[in-house]
Amino acid sequence: MKHELDLYRRLLGVQIRSQMQYRTSFLFDAMASGLIVLTEFGSVALVLQRFENIRGWELAEIAFLYGLVELSFGFMDMLFSGFDPPNFGRGVRQGTFDQLLLRPINITAQVLGSDLQLRRLGRITFGIGIFILALTLNDIVWTVPKLLYLPIVIASLVAFFGGLFIAGSTITFWTVDSIEVMNMLTYGGSFTISYPMTIYPDWLRRFFTYVVPAIFLNFFPTLYFLGKPDPFNFPVIAPFLSPLVGFSTLWLALRFWRFGIRHYQSTGS
Amino acid sequence: MSIIDVTELQKYFSVRQHFSGRFGAVRSFFSRESKQVRAVDGISFGVQPGELVGYLGPNGAGKSTTIKMLTGLLVPSGGKVVVNGHIPHKERQQYVAHIGAVFGQRTTLWWDLPVIESLELLRHVYKIPLELFQHNLAEFTDMLEMESFLHTPVRSLSLGQRMRADIAAALLHNPDLLFLDEPTIGLDVVAKERIRQFIQHVNAERGTTVLLTTHDLADVQRLCQRVMIIDHGKLLFDGRLESLQDQFGGKRELVVDFAQEYETVAVDGATVVEYQDARATYQFERGEISASALIGRLSSKYRVQDLAVREPDIEATIRRIYQEKLLEG
Repeated sequence: MKHELDLYRRLLGVQIRSQMQYRTSFLFDAMASGLIVLTEFGSVALVLQRFENIRGWELAEIAFLYGLVELSFGFMDMLFSGFDPPNFGRGVRQGTFDQLLLRPINITAQVLGSDLQLRRLGRITFGIGIFILALTLNDIVWTVPKLLYLPIVIASLVAFFGGLFIAGSTITFWTVDSIEVMNMLTYGGSFTISYPMTIYPDWLRRFFTYVVPAIFLNFFPTLYFLGKPDPFNFPVIAPFLSPLVGFSTLWLALRFWRFGIRHYQSTGS
Repeated sequence: MSIIDVTELQKYFSVRQHFSGRFGAVRSFFSRESKQVRAVDGISFGVQPGELVGYLGPNGAGKSTTIKMLTGLLVPSGGKVVVNGHIPHKERQQYVAHIGAVFGQRTTLWWDLPVIESLELLRHVYKIPLELFQHNLAEFTDMLEMESFLHTPVRSLSLGQRMRADIAAALLHNPDLLFLDEPTIGLDVVAKERIRQFIQHVNAERGTTVLLTTHDLADVQRLCQRVMIIDHGKLLFDGRLESLQDQFGGKRELVVDFAQEYETVAVDGATVVEYQDARATYQFERGEISASALIGRLSSKYRVQDLAVREPDIEATIRRIYQEKLLEG
């Protein structure tokens, strides 16, 4: 385990050094992906200015939801770059995944260390910016439990979306055709939960409550942080289910990943 | 004790049936029908420590599938593989720590890193003691003439340089066993020769067991005492290169320049295939008559000025084996 962590650190070092050779390209990419976040949220903000609030949510409160998801997804997208499904699938077909299997190190650590897209820092930075803005605009009554819980919620979001990435990559052992379905869940999911659940039709909210329980990841925790009443009258424990949902998704995805590797070794894709 | 022990090894793949025509794609999608392809169909062999074995076969014969099972990338459908005391796919991590593998078409090095940094990183991957690492690096750099490109990023290397770096990378941790899949593919004559010399050195001086697949028969002739030939998933031949020639080689030829013109130049034990301007070409069967006996007979009958023996080349022999399925039993 110590050896694995040491190597993971070294592999990430390789990625950073490699990408720093293309500094200009990095800067442009980072700026561009950051600007996308800004224009996306900016246009929402402009629309919202015309209304006092939508379904009981003010702009500053939406910024909290949005920033939280944006910075977490950005972190995930960077840390789990090696599991980005289209890239991973390409590696399987081109045999680079086989090269990893030929090295005497845990395969998950190697895939995680095989890529670290630094240009995601753009998205992360702007996500953090929006989130800090939200922190100053909302009158949040900070308590010790809230301060302790915030990083846990971020970690849970990272774990959840990381799990979706891993599951998506695992599917590429069988087929590359259904990647779009997985993307819909990953990118569609992160987009959906960036906005208050009250604005969606019932069926969509039920989907994100009972089928893919992403509502617990950030919506209920946000109610807790902002001290807003729960419009859906869920049990009081609802805001605290975030780590359960996030980490059990990651755990399941890792189980599926193990199964996928065994399948791959018996079929050679 | 064999270092590689393969018994009745099999690998079957199911290939999903594809339909053509109207709604073909839809039918393919819903169809559960599949065809079984026997990539490796019950092969057995053993390799002793220190051997250098050539593994030959046409494209799609089952070479790569065998290598993938030997290196633990694929799980066999049947039979047994024990390499270096391990069942490769079961104990992957422990097993691959003691083997080296080079797949000619791909690199194990980091694309944007200078060669030396990739090798440094592999030192940590394989937990190679610093002293051993420095010793090996010095030796390989010298033998493979890598000094000039050690600090060049892998992406800027020529194919020959990259291959040398990859072979060095596969041997840094002193593996007991080295798998080389097409190590000279796409290289020029000089680069090929340098790599062959190095493989021979590693095998002879370090006692590393080498299993080599190649399309280049010069590799085999130059390096391998023993060859295995596989086609359609079955092992067709396993033995010394010379005995392959003895068994399946075509006829040998003797070209003779006579000191004067003769009416006929017939001789017992060989047939004249061409005779013109005092030069005759004879064909004779290996095993029926030796070249020296034939030359003796000729020179007792005629005045011979010059002569040359032509061996059928191994390439032609192997092509004949594939095409005429000489070995199918």
